[in-house]
Amino acid sequence: MTSRATIGLAALQDRFQKALLSGDDRILSIIPDSQRERRDVLLSVYRHAYSQRLIEFVENDHELLHKYLGDEAFREMAQAYAAAQPSHDRNARYFCVHLPQFLKTVEPYKSQAQISELAALEKALNDAFDAADALVLTCADLGRFRPEDWWRLTLKPHPSALRIDCQTNAPDIWLSLKEERKPPRLQNVAESTHVLVWRQDIPKLRLLGAEEAMMWDEAAAGTYFGTLCELVAIFGGLGGAEARAAGYLQGWIDSGLVSETELMGASQRLRTKPTK
Amino acid sequence: MLESLDLSHAAKPSANRPPYLGFGLGLRPQHYSEILEGNWPIDWFEIISENFMVPGGRPIAILEKIRARYPIVMHGVSLSIASTAPLDMDYLASLKMLAQRIQPKWISDHLCWTGVHGVNLHDLLPIPYTREALEHVVSRVHKVQEVLGRTIALENVSTYVRFEHSEMTECEFVTELTRRTGCWVLLDINNVFVNAFNHGFDARAFLNGIAVDRVVQFHVAGHSDMGSHLIDTHDQLVRGEVWDLYRSALKHFGPVSTMIERDENIPPLAEVVAEVSHARFIAQEVFAAHHALAERR
Repeated sequence: MTSRATIGLAALQDRFQKALLSGDDRILSIIPDSQRERRDVLLSVYRHAYSQRLIEFVENDHELLHKYLGDEAFREMAQAYAAAQPSHDRNARYFCVHLPQFLKTVEPYKSQAQISELAALEKALNDAFDAADALVLTCADLGRFRPEDWWRLTLKPHPSALRIDCQTNAPDIWLSLKEERKPPRLQNVAESTHVLVWRQDIPKLRLLGAEEAMMWDEAAAGTYFGTLCELVAIFGGLGGAEARAAGYLQGWIDSGLVSETELMGASQRLRTKPTK
Repeated sequence: MLESLDLSHAAKPSANRPPYLGFGLGLRPQHYSEILEGNWPIDWFEIISENFMVPGGRPIAILEKIRARYPIVMHGVSLSIASTAPLDMDYLASLKMLAQRIQPKWISDHLCWTGVHGVNLHDLLPIPYTREALEHVVSRVHKVQEVLGRTIALENVSTYVRFEHSEMTECEFVTELTRRTGCWVLLDINNVFVNAFNHGFDARAFLNGIAVDRVVQFHVAGHSDMGSHLIDTHDQLVRGEVWDLYRSALKHFGPVSTMIERDENIPPLAEVVAEVSHARFIAQEVFAAHHALAERR
């Protein structure tokens, strides 16, 4: 029994937190009953609020995964995540950042890869929603470079842009749920499905072919545009490679996916930021 | 006396005191469009600071539009001023950066703790009203005010348990804290009502004990009645007894910026604006009676 004088603030907070996280009841020794209620019932207000709040955070960020799993299975999943991964961030917005990885590594979710992939897609869209702002490049901005300099251009993706590769038909499932259609049966795909998520006023998601995905990944890593054209030629064949590369670039510019270009050279480093 | 209409004791103008803003509302994403498209009888908005401590995107863009039309107050939920964990300097830097961008009329948080050992429990947890806790909170308020470069306001929270070794009342704790740090009080009228019921004290005596010149804001919100205890749920209309207590608070403190707080089960904007208007109506009634009384004297 803890005496009235011995429990300091730090010990009290440690014990109170343990009561919420692990059901340790020792804190009850310093909590009196109220005039109308037992101390354990009063403490349960905090216990219930804690678990309920974390489940709500998962619900708020995963509307379509919730729809896919149904109420009961979703709640079980959220409870399992909350138990395994207490929040370490002051901002509730970031409580779910580890959910895709959790679902990828813990049974029974691990063996149903579409679940972690759906969570990853929703996380990417949430991240795109409040990613940093940046002006986007236009064709007119690109036109300021001389044609002979294009080979040494590098592109900087918009801060919201994120690539995901899926090993299941999770993107199809996601789209069906979004459009309130019955989701298709799970399929594991032989070739990865390449997804690009970004924000153009609102968060967007689209599928990329293998060649465009390769070029995007290389561009995002800082590869020169000239090298990108060579890679496209190697990947998809020499014929029309430059036109295909230019087409992809045009699509990215139209979609607001590029925020900056740099012209790299041995003796110069010019940067073109978009004009307002 | 608390129930009299003598407002001579009410807070006097002071160069350092935040301005009186009138009747405001908690800004919630569900109402963004209606707020931007309409012309509502709302004088100001309170934001949850953490919701805007993100890199960019729509939340910040919307807030910029709203702050161009209305005064903004920042209200945090994660300062954890009473925690024995070290102050989170990254959080404070981020809060300060947001304040520099938004230029709020004041910044508030809660008199509580939210976690220790690197964990955030995302709840407003109770503190023992001991001399040790008071010393701890006083030193942290001084530090936070130094880092932010401004005086903060702290809100009394609803609590469901109390601790046997408390050495003073909540009211005494708050009074001593404000005296020693100069911090403001965000007085949540619903929380006073909830705590008075849960812990068996007189809500009006509590109001009477708080230093009038420290209170810069009232929160008014709804709660859930569980029979043996009340829970501060913010998910329903403000109850009549809380409006009655608000009326008493106005009589005691004089004009104080008032805000309706709704966090769950959020209705269309018109419904919460009706509550803002009701708060305004009560204040007008209280102060009209005061002026009538003054004229008769």
